[in-house]
Amino acid sequence: MSGRLPGVGDREVIEFTFEGAAVTAYAGDSLAMALWAAEIPAVRGSSTAGEPRGVLCNMGICYECLVIVDGETVRSCTTLVRAGMNVERGGLR
Amino acid sequence: MSELVIDADVGVVGAGPGGMAAATRLAEAGLRVTVLDEGARAGGQIYRQLPDGVAASVGILEPPSHDHGHLMTRGFEGAELRRVHGATVWDAKPGRLWFEHEGRSRLLRCQRIVLAPGAYDRCIPFPGWTLPGVVTAGALQVMVRGFGVVPGKRALVVGSGPLLLPTVTALLGAGVEVVAALEASSRWRALRAAPGVIGNAARRREAVWYMKQLWRHGVKLQWGWTVFACEGGDRVQRAVIGRIDGQGRPKRGTERTIEVDVVGAGFGLVPSTELGLRLGAEARYLPERGGHCVIVDDEQRTAEPSVYAAGEICGIGGAEVAAAEGALCAAAILRELRGDAVAPAVLRAARAERRAADAMLRAFSPLPGLSELARPDTIVCRCEDVTRLGAQQAAEVHGESMRAIKLGCRAGMGPCQARICGPSLQAMATGDGACVMDRPVVQVPLKAVRAATIQNAPEAC
Repeated sequence: MSGRLPGVGDREVIEFTFEGAAVTAYAGDSLAMALWAAEIPAVRGSSTAGEPRGVLCNMGICYECLVIVDGETVRSCTTLVRAGMNVERGGLR
Repeated sequence: MSELVIDADVGVVGAGPGGMAAATRLAEAGLRVTVLDEGARAGGQIYRQLPDGVAASVGILEPPSHDHGHLMTRGFEGAELRRVHGATVWDAKPGRLWFEHEGRSRLLRCQRIVLAPGAYDRCIPFPGWTLPGVVTAGALQVMVRGFGVVPGKRALVVGSGPLLLPTVTALLGAGVEVVAALEASSRWRALRAAPGVIGNAARRREAVWYMKQLWRHGVKLQWGWTVFACEGGDRVQRAVIGRIDGQGRPKRGTERTIEVDVVGAGFGLVPSTELGLRLGAEARYLPERGGHCVIVDDEQRTAEPSVYAAGEICGIGGAEVAAAEGALCAAAILRELRGDAVAPAVLRAARAERRAADAMLRAFSPLPGLSELARPDTIVCRCEDVTRLGAQQAAEVHGESMRAIKLGCRAGMGPCQARICGPSLQAMATGDGACVMDRPVVQVPLKAVRAATIQNAPEAC
């Protein structure tokens, strides 16, 4: 479905986990884009029904792509990937 | 960055064309300038750059005007000023900007503030718009031009206004098949934009470039069409598209279903005004310019004399308007602090760009009938999962003001603070797509930050 433009992968490879599964990304990726490129567009459950949600604005406005990184809720579109991050779905409050 | 408090002569918010133009000129004139920007790199949304270290030769398809924008970005990055990227401004008062950066609570103290926070896509709720894979038009551009990510295989681009074109070309450049590109305005309505395009050499060149790209890739822009619904499970799989009338009302019976794995929807832009309102600026509702806009005098000063504003915050106009108004902010501040005269050419350029943009964007002002796309069970507030019916009931019980609707059903009370649902919430709740929206209610923190950031703020707010 998705992937990378040619040449974009000539960067340091970074690994992190999402819901316990390993995800490979590149230095400079936002968490949202790393997940999207890894075919994981649904990153959050909506606040009452728990319906799948993902990136909407991709620029830090909408808070639809919230995930939990090492216990702290962050916008995945404005958070850069770091090696060893432990990422979980953002979700029901 | 180690300091928690930074002092500067001028604080600039935003490193898009408006902020960059103002900051670069002020720095060149010898003032101490600090720029706070939420993005990872300079350029704003329009001149997005790929992450550091990624070759620029990866084949991003961009219009000719972006060459100038990238040059401008180089100039900004080479200027002697302080650039703080990844900064989220969450409160402000004249002379003070509180922001979160690298997990720390920080403060910028300055004599003058220039606001160039830009804009974001206007969303119009329709059934299925909450499905993963359905994103804003801007989001797709960020994906391709900001991160080199290929958004999908088969895309639908839908909405209204000039920004659909760079969205389509970004996708085409990334090798995505654009199954359909739907402009809500009719061809006749769009013709009203013609004088603004034909009368401006740069815009004319740009229009020809876009036409050429679409033609080369066999993509036809369909006028008077839009998306009626998106369907899928954990990701969008299909979109139902159809014709709309001159008011934007869906013509039932014209539907067609297409297979897609990504949808970009952008019904124009909404000015990012909250920082201006918090600082004491006045706002006016100007639908042709995207909604509530910060009002400035003829030298870009807001109602709060120490605060200037440039670009989209004063009404949607595009990058050229922002750059010209940013330059005017710098000139006006230099006159104020240094006694330098404002060059008439700077004034003229800002006015001319704004006039041309106004003339063009009139043809794409929001169509009231599009509010009929949402069904009673369609989510309107995504943060709080409020349906259209929920918002309608709140309006019936509590009243039709924004405040009453919010208090009645929690719509607009989530982390986005009504940035997404706000521009259409009253239309959704009252059924009046042409209603004049209430001025946004500005609450602190302006963006959701950690409680510790607020607690540990250097100087009380």
